[in-house]
Amino acid sequence: MKLRTTKYFAKEGFNNLSRNKVMSAASITSVIAALLVIGIFFIIMLNIDYAASALESQIEMMVYLDEGLSEETISVMRDEIKSINGVKDILFISKDTALKDMQKKLGDNAYLLEGLESDNPLPNTFIITLKNPQDASSVSLALSSMANIEKVSYGKEDLEKLLKATYVLRMASLLVIVILLFISIFIISNTIKLTVFARRREIGIMKFVGATDWFVRGPFVIEGMLLGVIGGIAATALLGAGYYYCINLVRDQMIGILSITLMPFKQVTMSMTALLLCVGLVIGTIGSLLSVRRFIKV
Amino acid sequence: MIELTNVSKTFQDGHKALNDINMFIDRGEFVFIVGQSGSGKSTLIKLLMKELEPTSGKIVVDGKNITKLKRREIPYLRRSMGVVFQDFRLLQDKTVYENVAFAMQVTEASAREIRRQVPIALSMVGLSKKSGLYPKQLSGGEQQRVSMARAMVNGPSLLIADEPTGNLDPEMSWDIVKMLNEFNQRGTTIIMATHDREIVNGMKKRVIAIENGDIIRDEKRGGYCNEA
Repeated sequence: MKLRTTKYFAKEGFNNLSRNKVMSAASITSVIAALLVIGIFFIIMLNIDYAASALESQIEMMVYLDEGLSEETISVMRDEIKSINGVKDILFISKDTALKDMQKKLGDNAYLLEGLESDNPLPNTFIITLKNPQDASSVSLALSSMANIEKVSYGKEDLEKLLKATYVLRMASLLVIVILLFISIFIISNTIKLTVFARRREIGIMKFVGATDWFVRGPFVIEGMLLGVIGGIAATALLGAGYYYCINLVRDQMIGILSITLMPFKQVTMSMTALLLCVGLVIGTIGSLLSVRRFIKV
Repeated sequence: MIELTNVSKTFQDGHKALNDINMFIDRGEFVFIVGQSGSGKSTLIKLLMKELEPTSGKIVVDGKNITKLKRREIPYLRRSMGVVFQDFRLLQDKTVYENVAFAMQVTEASAREIRRQVPIALSMVGLSKKSGLYPKQLSGGEQQRVSMARAMVNGPSLLIADEPTGNLDPEMSWDIVKMLNEFNQRGTTIIMATHDREIVNGMKKRVIAIENGDIIRDEKRGGYCNEA
């Protein structure tokens, strides 16, 4: 395409946008709304995957022991576990140490645990370090045949639970995203239809003096792209600010004790910006093409 | 230049606009197509512009069978012909100059070409001094002249005029037709659909009369009616 044609498209596209200010604003708003929801689901998905891979690569297993075991039994178990193939190291954490750790972790909120010293609910625990994460299931199998163990928990197990729990969420959000995409395309296409309609005489004249379909479409496609991209930029900015706030919230507030770690800001915003701008661009383009289709057939 | 072979057009509602038309128009001719409203004149012109498809038959323009033209080739067919309509079809928010330049812009002509060709086209129709005015500041005849400049600016070998004098008073109508005649003398083939009896009788050009979709008369130097 020639440079002057590109210039002409850009100029006319911007003109179209400003000619219909109210409708343009309305459709940008709805694009923002749609992209916000898409972006929120996307961030949730990213964080689930982030947590999943963190769990997957975890090479520690927690072995919670039954109540009231003698020190002797514990020491025998320790040797037994250490001899299991794939175990690299084993560390014993007593009930008391576990409680103190937790108090330390809570800091100012430690008063929550007051009174628990006499009736400590936390179990004695072995923390096993694995030689590599793949050994988790075989080690866990070996542990399951041992007595005096209340529960074994490790990354892979949590991961499976997490994936199962989020399956419905993933499917639902996919559905919502698809519906929202269609709605945004529809809204953009309707907005542009107004400009197309206002300029139908001009389109007719263009056609009979020999303009190609692409030449007629150009400005409207630019208009659609602008609607989509402006919506995309606004949605990205809003979501970025929101996510930044969430990260700080999780870090500063009590939620921290739930040991949630969110994906780093930079990583999230980079992929989110790319996604939302692309989606905005695509829905803008599709919307505009749909709206010109009828009028161009002369 | 233009050849129609057994061309028929029946609309979807069953209305027969043209029945088995055969016609040959040579390069450099000036042809009037006359007939009542609804006789099929406009349909014929729309077929030539490929705004409509014939139901059957073959249409050749400038050596090309346009019935077989692909959709994306239509713009190039239209660039080879200028078209003038009864209602001028000018853009009201563009000046005279811009209206004429617009026809070149859409063909992606360079700014330099546009700057060179538009003034030539405007001087051909005698509107050089009014290039900065808007259509509504002009008389009907002047507006039609703008549309003629627009039709000629890309240097077409064929000019099709569909009732170009339909909205004009007799004096202005003569201006327009004389201008068409000038274009013709410079080598442009002219096809003018009209039901303006005086002009047809006065010009003594070839006349093709259409009635109810049939060619009822084709005379080398004819008048509007047989008796004339």
